[in-house]
Amino acid sequence: MTCSVNTKGNRVHLAQCPACFLPALRGRAFWIGLGLAGLLLSPHLLQAAPSPIESDFRDDTVLATLPEAIPISNQEPDTATGLADRIQQLIGEARGTGDPRFFGYAERLFQQWPESRMDDRLLVLRATLFQSLHRFEQARKDLATVLKRTRNREHRVQARLTLANLEIVQGHYMEAKKQCQALARDYPGLIAGSCHAQVAARTGQARAAYQRLQTSLAEVDRPDVTSRLWAEGTLGDIAAQLGRAEAEQHWRRVLAASPSDLYTRTMLADWHLQRGNHNKVLALTDGYDQVDSLAVIRSIAMIRSDHPERNTLTRQLRERFSEARWRGVLLHQRDYARFLLDVEARAEQALKYARENWASQREPLDSRLLLRAARAAGDTKTLTRLEQWLKQHGQTDARYPEVSS
Amino acid sequence: MTMPRTWLPCLLLLTLISQSGLAFAHKASDSFIYLDTNERELRIDVALRDLALLVPLDQDGDLQITGREVRSQREAITRTVERALELSAESGICSLQGLQWGLSRHSDGRYAAARYRISCPGGAGAEQLRYSLLFDRDSLHRGLVEITSDTGSSLAVLSPDRNQLALATETSGPLATFIMFLREGVIHLLIGLDHILFLLVLVLPVSLMGKESESDTVKARMFGLAGIVTAFTVAHSITLALAALDLVTLPIAWVETIIALSIAVAALNVAWPVLGKKTWKLAFAFGLVHGFGFASVLGDLTSGVSDMAVALAGFNLGVELGQLGLLVLGFPLLYLLSQWRLYQRALVPGILLAVAGTSLFWAAERAASI
Repeated sequence: MTCSVNTKGNRVHLAQCPACFLPALRGRAFWIGLGLAGLLLSPHLLQAAPSPIESDFRDDTVLATLPEAIPISNQEPDTATGLADRIQQLIGEARGTGDPRFFGYAERLFQQWPESRMDDRLLVLRATLFQSLHRFEQARKDLATVLKRTRNREHRVQARLTLANLEIVQGHYMEAKKQCQALARDYPGLIAGSCHAQVAARTGQARAAYQRLQTSLAEVDRPDVTSRLWAEGTLGDIAAQLGRAEAEQHWRRVLAASPSDLYTRTMLADWHLQRGNHNKVLALTDGYDQVDSLAVIRSIAMIRSDHPERNTLTRQLRERFSEARWRGVLLHQRDYARFLLDVEARAEQALKYARENWASQREPLDSRLLLRAARAAGDTKTLTRLEQWLKQHGQTDARYPEVSS
Repeated sequence: MTMPRTWLPCLLLLTLISQSGLAFAHKASDSFIYLDTNERELRIDVALRDLALLVPLDQDGDLQITGREVRSQREAITRTVERALELSAESGICSLQGLQWGLSRHSDGRYAAARYRISCPGGAGAEQLRYSLLFDRDSLHRGLVEITSDTGSSLAVLSPDRNQLALATETSGPLATFIMFLREGVIHLLIGLDHILFLLVLVLPVSLMGKESESDTVKARMFGLAGIVTAFTVAHSITLALAALDLVTLPIAWVETIIALSIAVAALNVAWPVLGKKTWKLAFAFGLVHGFGFASVLGDLTSGVSDMAVALAGFNLGVELGQLGLLVLGFPLLYLLSQWRLYQRALVPGILLAVAGTSLFWAAERAASI
């Protein structure tokens, strides 16, 4: 925020610019001071007064739009297959829209279902749900049960793949590699190849991994859609890590086939943001204001490009995060940390959330955020720790070139 | 939030679509409850999106909720929300009278909002809030509560695992209650002059014990004294509990007068042991009277304390600790003084006279106010 002086015919409107008559406190310093004063005055989370109750609303106004999959009935399916179908649909809806309500509906159904009737498919689904809710240990436990007892190859493959992903996200590359190897035995092909490539790329062999996976993709004669998109997405991630422009094409191919893939959309929007392609960011994030990761990237792009609607979105996000803090469980710590760092310019706070996020998730974007926050806050201890971890795995990334290992 | 591309598990891998694992990209389901304990008002906002699960809001099935649809379902909405919301006081369930109804807005859209006046039986303030809307549908639903009172405002969260909230602002755990009352017990002993005088009167005869006594050491006498004051504490604990639990209640002015008289009698008993020389029995008997006196003090402190037994235990132990502390400090002093020739002849009678005089004066004063 800056303090602009409105000069019309030599008249200075001081009232609109409270710091103008205090030259020592111009601009940013004034706002920082005001912010600090505000922080001191609010010993704990300060909630704005709720919006007034309007009793006078029009009959024809559309007040809310419901998603198609809204489960009006809460009747529990009788069979394990029926339950699994329902839950799979709910998890799919949650992922496609980013709306966690569907995870809540799914978990509720699980809670009503006796543990003794959990079959392998239900366990894999529950692990996926736990993983989405960041309950990684519970997810691991369910997956271990499936891997130990199932005789069904598909369930085993699914469980391995889920477990491999979980280990990669958490930065446990040795464990991930084991799962990828087992996956290659059970289900050789592009998916196991992508699994290996992801691990190799995070452990110092990004260039070779990219080459190998690209060759495999080219060699497979008419791959199925899932395998192809999986490989394309992985190639996009590795290309971005290498700082290669091909990342965009890989991700575009995934998005063309699956526009509701919020992960890929976020990766691509982040890529363009880092390159200063603000218009591309705005186009990619348009209509996704409800999705925190995309909305935060959008608001940063709006601020950097002086977009007229920047304040509206920032205000919305501020309210949303304040409600999330009231809830207490912040599952989107990465987005909040990024918002604090790049929109609110509160490095110390950002560092706190970035550090908590990094404790459980160590994807390149998580590491980059922690690096930036630690640098902004001048926390050399965190920086050293993080750099050591990256070095230990030989991880390099063009998105954080300052770190050399 | 930051899952990499992950699959939705499916029986056939080949039919899977590569999808993100963005976990919480969105605001989750929350209701907002604003409770003003001064004004005795409550406001609750529930997302229309969430209400649609419980009330047939989208009657024409076009997936859009219009103003007309909300208005036509007002009664069902109100009923559903009120059923999931319960305020209670010790005297019973409180009733809610609607003051205002309409729509409001939060960060993720429109909410149905209602404001109520809370009336609890006997005009009491609400002590507990229970909320259960949507918990049987969405495990991630939360009731976000803001409580405003004289002392400021506080925030709380209600969840399926914890769907009740005590509204007393000074809610504290048993340990905190115990420590608070322990301290109150010590303080009450130290600032209550009648109590200290009574203690002095009990202690004096022991300091006068002749050298012929076989247990003639400070240590032995201290143990004897500790026994006396403990007898006193045990006795007043009994009557304090009887009074605090409303099992026996005596008019406080009478109790106070009798306490004052008992001090005078105890003082005179040192000089002329009409009631015998078994001091601990005396202490026990008078302790019973004094317990009723404590009850009046404790009554002011325990309003709003749920754990009465813990409070009583803390208070009694505090009194006992205070007594023992005074004894440890005061008795060696009296013992030293007793080596002085004039102690027994002049000082002790002087003290006894002063104590008896003072307490008789108190007794007269207190009797006059009855």
